[in-house]
Amino acid sequence: MTTTRLKLNLGPQHPSTHGVLRLLLELEGEKILSCEPDIGYLHRGMEKMAEKLSYIQYLPLVDRIDYLAGFFYSELLCRIVESACGIEIPDKVKVIRVLMLELNRIASHLLWVGAFLMDLGATSPYFYVFREREMILRYFEKITGQRMMYNYFIFGGVRKDIEFLEDVEEIISVLPSKIDDYEKIITDNPIFIRRTENKGILSPDTAVNFAITGVNLRASGVDYDCRHTDELYRGFDFKSIILDGKDAWSRYKARILEMRESINIIKQALDYLKKSNPLEQRLIPPINLKLPEGDYYAEIEAPRGLASCYVRSDGEDKPYRLKWRTGSYYSVNLLRRILKGEYLNDAIAIAGSLDIILPEVDK
Amino acid sequence: MNWHEFVRIFDDCELAGDKIIVKSRLHDVIEFVIKNYPYNMLKEIIAVDNKDNTTELIYHMYSVDDEEDLYISITVQGEAESIVDIFESATADEREIYDLFGINFIGHEDLKRLYMPEDWKGFPLRKDYVQDDTRLAWNDNNEA
Repeated sequence: MTTTRLKLNLGPQHPSTHGVLRLLLELEGEKILSCEPDIGYLHRGMEKMAEKLSYIQYLPLVDRIDYLAGFFYSELLCRIVESACGIEIPDKVKVIRVLMLELNRIASHLLWVGAFLMDLGATSPYFYVFREREMILRYFEKITGQRMMYNYFIFGGVRKDIEFLEDVEEIISVLPSKIDDYEKIITDNPIFIRRTENKGILSPDTAVNFAITGVNLRASGVDYDCRHTDELYRGFDFKSIILDGKDAWSRYKARILEMRESINIIKQALDYLKKSNPLEQRLIPPINLKLPEGDYYAEIEAPRGLASCYVRSDGEDKPYRLKWRTGSYYSVNLLRRILKGEYLNDAIAIAGSLDIILPEVDK
Repeated sequence: MNWHEFVRIFDDCELAGDKIIVKSRLHDVIEFVIKNYPYNMLKEIIAVDNKDNTTELIYHMYSVDDEEDLYISITVQGEAESIVDIFESATADEREIYDLFGINFIGHEDLKRLYMPEDWKGFPLRKDYVQDDTRLAWNDNNEA
């Protein structure tokens, strides 16, 4: 008996593709010979819209680039405008932003843990992580009025002073024991290990060549975390998580450890905020805001890798050109390489371990 | 970093801070840079449409070990040299630029529409782009 080659469509409505990713797989038996990602089902023209809107009109939109980590993209646009206008933001604003960003990072990683385990067929962790994520989202709702599309950072500061710090205290006191619980049921689970260990090996050279950043790169043993050179994080004591397992299991473990590190950063931010005075900030008047002619660039360590924003201004109130770089876009490109030669049943685990989110890919 | 050797070989380039403006031979330039300098990651390719029918391509390179950025800029007209044989990540970037700006990358084997549908007319991020495709509902003049 001979096996014939089969072309298989995975997605775009497949539940494990986290949105609308379509993978065109060529199979021989259960082995993947080639993988062709097809994206664009969620394209909203974020870059085209920027050229038609003033900066303040565009600001509420950028949360939608990655709806699980909206703060990061608001922060990028604010940073562009602040650097162009030469505004130094007050220390308290910086700490508030770090607090929000790190809480957002935890919320994003929590959802990933649940979704990843769901991909592997374990449904119960999904409910546990949503329980903890809910605490964070409730807090965001109290401060910003929104659960996902926050629109809280504004040019020169934040929309209102931080409050309800006791909620954050509760979150970080509860969270470590909850993460311990996840580790108990997941990390050393033999079924989980068999499905992720040595699966989807990503060598450091390949990762760098494919411009993979963030947790995926650090789980391959490359030390690159742009938070260390970030002005915003100056004065915070934290370390990046570098693991050299290179496989799907390491990428899982790195995210778990990164959540613990984020809790550590939040603790430091809380200590500062509890002693701080009421917020005094000088906002940039958003009406008729024109950036001086020139090129502006800002980057940040988002949960799914390096995110950056490039703006070229011709002195008008709208950007001449605005470009986003998102981590997931390059992870999708990596699927062409990393899935080659793997088995179909591992494809879901490997693609899931890269933490791809489609609104960020399609922009 | 010492750029003397670079300037000697590529004599039509201009150095401006961390930005190098080259006129031609982009593939050779990138190849030379990764061989002789510690830059090993291509973070992204940024395309900007100039209004005079040319497009500026900015290659944003990065050295993971030295934590340094480098921008290589080239202005092209309609087509450019592909660097997919040096950086695999360029496959994604070049295809995006083809889709939105219509730049034809010579040497890129899989150059087709990415975000836009296969039969989409025009390249949306060009400054002279006009959306007048009558197949789209909002361009239908007969509608009341």
